[in-house]
Amino acid sequence: MDEAVQAVGPKTRVGFLQGRRWATLTFAQPAMLTVFAALSTVAGCRARPAAGASLPIHTEIAPQPVRVGEATVTITGIVDGLKEPLAGVRIQVEGDMAHPGMAPVFADAKEIAPGTYQAQLNLNMPGDWVVLEHIRLADGTRIERQLDVRGVKAQ
Amino acid sequence: MTRMPGAVAQPEDDLEEGELAEAPPFDLLHVPVIGAFLRWRHSRTFLAIPLLAVSIVMILQGLLGPALSPKNLATVLTWVHFRGALVLALLLAGNLFCLACPFMLVRNAMRKFVTPRFTWPRALRNKWIPAALIALILFSYELFSLWSSPSLTAWVIVGYFVAVLAVDGLFKHGAFCKYVCPIGQFNFVAATASPLEVSVRDREVCDTCGTKDCIRGRRAPGSDLVIFQRGCELALFQPAKVGNMDCTFCLDCVHACPHDNVGMLSRLPSAELMSDPQRSGIGFFSRRKDIAALVIVFCFGALMNAFGMVSPVYTVETWLGRVLHIQQEAPILGMLFAIFLVIEPVMLLGGAAAVARAWAGLKSGWLAVAVRYTYSIAPLGFGMWLAHYGYHFFTGLYTIVPVTQNALAELGWPILGDPRWTLVGLPKTVVEPLEFGFLLLGLAGSLLIAWRLAEDDSEEHALRAFSPWAVVCLILFAASVWLMLQPMDMRATMMAG
Repeated sequence: MDEAVQAVGPKTRVGFLQGRRWATLTFAQPAMLTVFAALSTVAGCRARPAAGASLPIHTEIAPQPVRVGEATVTITGIVDGLKEPLAGVRIQVEGDMAHPGMAPVFADAKEIAPGTYQAQLNLNMPGDWVVLEHIRLADGTRIERQLDVRGVKAQ
Repeated sequence: MTRMPGAVAQPEDDLEEGELAEAPPFDLLHVPVIGAFLRWRHSRTFLAIPLLAVSIVMILQGLLGPALSPKNLATVLTWVHFRGALVLALLLAGNLFCLACPFMLVRNAMRKFVTPRFTWPRALRNKWIPAALIALILFSYELFSLWSSPSLTAWVIVGYFVAVLAVDGLFKHGAFCKYVCPIGQFNFVAATASPLEVSVRDREVCDTCGTKDCIRGRRAPGSDLVIFQRGCELALFQPAKVGNMDCTFCLDCVHACPHDNVGMLSRLPSAELMSDPQRSGIGFFSRRKDIAALVIVFCFGALMNAFGMVSPVYTVETWLGRVLHIQQEAPILGMLFAIFLVIEPVMLLGGAAAVARAWAGLKSGWLAVAVRYTYSIAPLGFGMWLAHYGYHFFTGLYTIVPVTQNALAELGWPILGDPRWTLVGLPKTVVEPLEFGFLLLGLAGSLLIAWRLAEDDSEEHALRAFSPWAVVCLILFAASVWLMLQPMDMRATMMAG
């Protein structure tokens, strides 16, 4: 795989504001403190990684180098511990520009071989893209994977 | 007698027979509901509270929310909606962001407990620092790809609050607004093209005013320390104020004036740049090299900022890196900024000044001519910012909806439903004509200002004085159009190829 294309696991971030004491902000108005504290608390209750995060999922994108237009996203490793393909899996692939405000693109992945899925994604602009894989297992477990696709070039 | 803001008052006796007296300008403060609201003493606080709440949400989302920029409120609101709304408000009304500034709300709260003891150093009472800060922010934006990083965006907002509190906690009056704030200086330059100006309604009322509350404020009898109502913290004395430079639209002068003689009046956009009167709190534009430098950073920074988002920038960077054997992005980017913000302006503006001086026989020195006419390119720069930020704003207008839905869903409150990620914005076919319209407006404004200045400088050879500046304006316009026609190509690492 090209060095510029790196698969990244599900991201969790530590809410470092949790537990901080804000009493030192004596200038802030009580109402603002209340809102701030409430938001800090709920922001700390973010979802933990899904149970299926241990699947040996691997993603590739072609062609290389990636250019504007149709890109083929191939996802392998949708298998159980015995390397048997999982049944009833739904995978939606989403492409987002790294810059906010751009239209995301979506495609449903189809199983092309046991445990292997493929989607055609229309990367319609040059630049840095992030490809998200929304994987839903038969038992309802959701898995998110992210693939950074840097420097998609114009045709 | 009423007067047009930015225009020189004309006694009625001087009117030719049959000439109609100028109609009084539109005054936003006389508009029902809006005027009453703005005249309300707490209107600024009322406007700033929601913006402060949004700022806090942006900080929290930026630090704790999704790491992906298009899905985070911090990046979407900052780089798509805030910037676009800012320039559109400046185009359609005036400096409304400074009016509702959330940083000032926190600063005012702090000043209830902390009394600043120092005055801003005399050597720093100019625009060199904010001009450098704008350049630094634009540089950081490219180098650290702030648009792609919610956490860095959040830290920029946090840093802004810290800077406001530090500067205005130490220094009296509006030191941060007048001498530091990069957003404020951006707004001041852009607001020269705004249709509204905070100005006196009737000059004669000011002539008879003995208290000058608009600048001094109102204090408790016998105690200078107890302030009932602030006067202008940015040292703008209303009767001598010309234009929008340094005006935050805070409306302190409106509230302070005991004669209800200050309004938000309509005017010809950019008219304040067509002449060079002495301005309260500023002096003459033509003698302010620092403000001219600010205008240069504003205009050429607009080009550089747009250049950083199109494909050719990567070709140039890669070529520079190969020729100079440099692998790091920072020095290459620094060189590009030096070319755009220093070398190019010196060549274009300096060259035009030299030609205009020699050809039209202008008596002023080369630098004085360059400084005087530099202000004429401000509308072009504003046009470029409008085209750029307006593009992101309109094409990403609705993205705030799914991002907000997503933020609430992540908090466990999916009250707005599942995120509708397909909601994006207006189609490019609609937005692109707007972009070119903004650029054309900027070109028209710049040419008109340059022509008026040339007429003032040399009645006989106005065309000769004007032509070099017209060429500069056309070059900048052509560069802007070329940039707008390039495919957008946003990469986090420029040197990656």
